[in-house]
Amino acid sequence: MIPLGDLLLYASLAVSFIALVGLLLKDLKNIEFLNRFATPAILLVAGLLTFAYLLLTYYFVTGNFAFDYVWQYSSSDLPLVYKLSGTWAGQPGTYLLWVWVVFLSAAWLAWSTKHSSALARRTQIITLITGIYLIILTLVQTPFKLIIERPEVVELIAKGSMTSDFVPLDGNGLNALLVNFWMIVHPPFMFIGYATMTIPFAAAIVYLLTKEDGWEELGRQWARFTWLILGMGIAVGGVWAYLVLGWGGFWAWDPVETASFIPWLTLTGFLHAAALHRKDKTTFSIAAPILAAVSFILVLYAAIVVRSGLFNSVHAFGDSSTGTLLILSIVITSIVSIILGMRRYLEEPDKVEEDRGFWNKTNIFYVSLLLFVVLAFISFWGITFPAFIQLTQGLKVGVASDTKNFFNVWSYPFTIILLLALGFCLNYNEKKKEEQKRTLYMVIGLTIITMFARTETFYVLDHSSPFWVREPPFYKLIGNISVISLFPSMIYATWAIIKRSLDYLRIKSLRPKIKGMGIAIVHFGVIFILFGAVISSNFTQKIEGINIPLSAKGERVDIGHGYDIKIIDFTTRSLAGTAAGGLKISEIFASPENYVNNNVKVSGKITDVLNVPTPPSYTTYMQLDDGTGSLWVATQADEVLNIQKGMELTVNGFMMTNFRSNSTGATYDLIIFTKPDQITEAVTSGKYTVQSVELEVYQNDKKIGSGTAEYLESKGGSGTFPLVDSSITGTDVYVIFQGIGGGVIPLTLRIIPAVNFAWIGIVLFAIGIILIMAVRSRPKKSLV
Amino acid sequence: MRTKKLLSIFVLVLILSFAYFSYKTALNNFTLSDKNNSYLGGIQFHRAAEGLKESFQIAQKENKPVMMYFWAIWCQYCARFQTDTLGNPQVKKILEEEYVLVAMDLDIDREVAQKYGVSYPPYLVFMDPQGNVLQRVPGAVGPEYLLPIVTQVRDQVRKK
Repeated sequence: MIPLGDLLLYASLAVSFIALVGLLLKDLKNIEFLNRFATPAILLVAGLLTFAYLLLTYYFVTGNFAFDYVWQYSSSDLPLVYKLSGTWAGQPGTYLLWVWVVFLSAAWLAWSTKHSSALARRTQIITLITGIYLIILTLVQTPFKLIIERPEVVELIAKGSMTSDFVPLDGNGLNALLVNFWMIVHPPFMFIGYATMTIPFAAAIVYLLTKEDGWEELGRQWARFTWLILGMGIAVGGVWAYLVLGWGGFWAWDPVETASFIPWLTLTGFLHAAALHRKDKTTFSIAAPILAAVSFILVLYAAIVVRSGLFNSVHAFGDSSTGTLLILSIVITSIVSIILGMRRYLEEPDKVEEDRGFWNKTNIFYVSLLLFVVLAFISFWGITFPAFIQLTQGLKVGVASDTKNFFNVWSYPFTIILLLALGFCLNYNEKKKEEQKRTLYMVIGLTIITMFARTETFYVLDHSSPFWVREPPFYKLIGNISVISLFPSMIYATWAIIKRSLDYLRIKSLRPKIKGMGIAIVHFGVIFILFGAVISSNFTQKIEGINIPLSAKGERVDIGHGYDIKIIDFTTRSLAGTAAGGLKISEIFASPENYVNNNVKVSGKITDVLNVPTPPSYTTYMQLDDGTGSLWVATQADEVLNIQKGMELTVNGFMMTNFRSNSTGATYDLIIFTKPDQITEAVTSGKYTVQSVELEVYQNDKKIGSGTAEYLESKGGSGTFPLVDSSITGTDVYVIFQGIGGGVIPLTLRIIPAVNFAWIGIVLFAIGIILIMAVRSRPKKSLV
Repeated sequence: MRTKKLLSIFVLVLILSFAYFSYKTALNNFTLSDKNNSYLGGIQFHRAAEGLKESFQIAQKENKPVMMYFWAIWCQYCARFQTDTLGNPQVKKILEEEYVLVAMDLDIDREVAQKYGVSYPPYLVFMDPQGNVLQRVPGAVGPEYLLPIVTQVRDQVRKK
């Protein structure tokens, strides 16, 4: 029997195919017959896929472990929000999310245009082809696969040691690293961004094919939205890396984060090209659609980087069965785009225009586009050629002695040129061109001079790093450039943005004013992020290998360099709170009449133990604390039980009230009597244990930070949740804790300055682009 | 139009030369492992599972301890651990002269890692020639921590 979810996918496949045929017949043969059904069919598919996604969510929430995917990425002790986010924790679920959003955008296209124009119809055709391909991809790795289809389970069923209606009692659980708020939002952002890239891409391909006008308008808001959500996805991933992985930074050029950054860069290029193209259709008439197509291709590439297993990364969450299909799709879309681009290029009549020389706005804009392409290529190449070498020669190579050095060395000069272009373009004024050129030359001169500045630190590559000596001469040459050289161009760009925003503010009419401010804010964002990144990565102070003995709790321990750390407390708990089972002790105290003279079960930590000889046996009194309250438990055994303070136990016993003990002389309001075999260890019940250390950090006897650093352990691995204490000045106190071992608390301390600037920059990005999107520049009726 | 064409050609040439140059540089300077060996922190290790049996044979013949190093290319701490700790002149000398060294790539040698209970890099497992685990060093420790262990394990095996 086919599961309901798969049925929905097959139905979507069939219905979307009908819609595609209908649109194709209309477009090629002008046959109306099926075309009438295209719009309702697409809306139906969007509905079916919405249902499929909700169904998957339902399986996760109810913990239906008959489904392999649910079993793999969830377990019953997870809080609800992580059950929800389990739907996109693995590859099959993210494919479903992707295809779902693609069809939601197809539905929007169908609804808003009714396919009345050739452009809308053709764009829909390309969107549908993409969507159908993604449905097939989802079916190949369906999230609705039953657990009894797993090879090892099939084997066991064949042997007869398992029945075919086998359903596991509990799930495998979520990777410990993903149990975090930022990881709840990161994957959906990424995949929604991947999906919303489809319409700009489809419209661009149609334009390349048929020169259909209005393509840029059709895809404009989608492209901006993609830029926003993909950018936010990347940023959230960065925040996660900062707060969870304990990288001590938000960017580490890991292959997967780099891969998602590449389409975002080319998309940035596209938005710039589109800005000029929209004013004059002949400007960037090839560059703009090609950049849109390239961005989409790079999105597919990013999906491969996560899925193929070829790119060794901290994101090793995928497996490879759909890798080949994805590669095939890249090859096809690349060839199509190249052929179409070439054709357009050869067809395009050479524009006979007066030669305005190099220094005009279009050319400088073009330089910026090329810079985005160059930066994208550097990132692309840096993650691609090691995989290529591994594939072809069986060798593993690093791109530099330290991976990040490669990207920093190559990107640095182009980032400066991009800032210079930014400054020049934003303030471009045909009349004052000569004056502006002089300013630019001055800034370039200053940049070159400051490259030679010699300081103790603050170079493109860290001279004190052990990797420095092992880099080849060229990397050393660039690495020797002082980062001070970034500042002339940065100040120049900032000045240009400020001047431009003042101009915008002077505009009377509201729409261009808002849009102009949006543009200015986004560019301010660039400056903030660059500043934050450069300062935080160059001026972080690190103290590694700190080991504080458990016995030093409550004392200030000198860790050198003028810093002290005081451990306030350390605890261990399971993630789901009192997941160990039983009642909360506070509930018992709230209404004891319900529990007295009844059997009750409670779990908690032993905070006190009394062993009293009561011949011929021993009685053990222990105080159990579950965080909500504490309760005494008594039991009798022939010998002294090995129960000690700090143990986590679950107790099942009989509740009594007003019990006076002859042996201890005390009266207990409430006490549980139990048998030794009713006392079990509680810790094993939680799949996730969290060790927390509460601590304070002092610098020269002044407290500079405090909080809790955590270490989460599960069957699947471990995660660190560093203490991050931010101050107004933007300097973070950052403490990584790696789990208690050997009687010591191992810590790493970092003092990270200016990291807040990067976060502010990201927020500015979002605000700016939302302002730009809010202003629909020229609402045209002709399109609909 | 001409300016743009020239710019495009210039950038294309730039990109291609960058691609070629960085490719060559990596191949010549930063090969981390081939089929037989890994080259980490300037030390040559036997590569992984295929060579494991052979490594123990060598260790038995020469009565040397075996050090297994679990690493991964994406591991931020490994790179530093290799240059700072394994690459420390004193540590390096002892390791190269008096140990049989095996490197396990966590992306490839997952089974071996599972067998020895290693779930994250960097991780060192010290063994006698018979394969009994003598010491474990998880995490990126400093040379001052590793040096005494390296010496102690060596002496322990020698005494036997």
